[in-house]
Amino acid sequence: MTESRVPALLVMHADLASALLRAAEKVYGPIDGVEVLSNEGLSRDALEGAIADRVRGWSAGGLVLTDFWGGSCHICGMAAARGHGELVIVSGLNLPTLLDYLHNRDRYGVQELAERLQKKGQDSIRLQRGQSA
Amino acid sequence: MSWVNHRIDDRLIHGQVVIAWGEHLRPRRLWVVDDRSAANAWERDLLASAAPGIDVRVLGVADAAAGYVALGVEAAPAMLLVRDLATALALVEAGAPVPAFTVGGLHYAPGKDKLNEYVYLDAADRERARALRARGVRLDVQDVPASRPQPLDALDPSLA
Repeated sequence: MTESRVPALLVMHADLASALLRAAEKVYGPIDGVEVLSNEGLSRDALEGAIADRVRGWSAGGLVLTDFWGGSCHICGMAAARGHGELVIVSGLNLPTLLDYLHNRDRYGVQELAERLQKKGQDSIRLQRGQSA
Repeated sequence: MSWVNHRIDDRLIHGQVVIAWGEHLRPRRLWVVDDRSAANAWERDLLASAAPGIDVRVLGVADAAAGYVALGVEAAPAMLLVRDLATALALVEAGAPVPAFTVGGLHYAPGKDKLNEYVYLDAADRERARALRARGVRLDVQDVPASRPQPLDALDPSLA
């Protein structure tokens, strides 16, 4: 258990981050303390700088939540996290993962929460076949 | 077969490259030609990790120009990335016989004019574009495979 809240920044393509946050509010309720950032129209240097500006005050670390591995959001998150030891980049974020973050951001430390989200994201994709009538 | 695309993109490796062009062209190798990245071990490792399943090399302009022809005769498809028109021109001037570059992303910066949603140029860029064309290098604008390629000078009449 930890008493401090793990901060998060959602960095995604187009309007996905804000749309995902709006969708999460429909399930979770009003959300505070989560920032969103789009890569729209930004060069790599500009996006890296925008992420760095937002995480600079996270002295105890935090999570940069991105849409997919190898995308500009992930790469710029990694670049912005350089030298920021307690910052973890989580890629492949989906709605179940975001909801899990919201429910657990006051309960775990940065590393432990990041690992929990990875497992939650992987477990949240399931298959269920239709059955013949 | 080897060189299947040469792209100018200030994001270097990112989603359009890894997902869209990666699925479309299936490159086995990806050269990132960028002096700044090549000089930084951390940046080289970051770029190498960003495209799983593709052999990523991060090279300076001189090394890329020296190895360009040799890689071009290998069977495996390869893709080449530079971050700007200056690097594209430097690579050609260093001796790499690149036939064409796809302008895939030159995003807004102060002093640059908008050509479309993902290409902005200033006077220095235009000079480099003219220099590339003078060397016989074609410049087409296209962000993803599903979009229609357009000659750069069709978007910027001052280059015509």
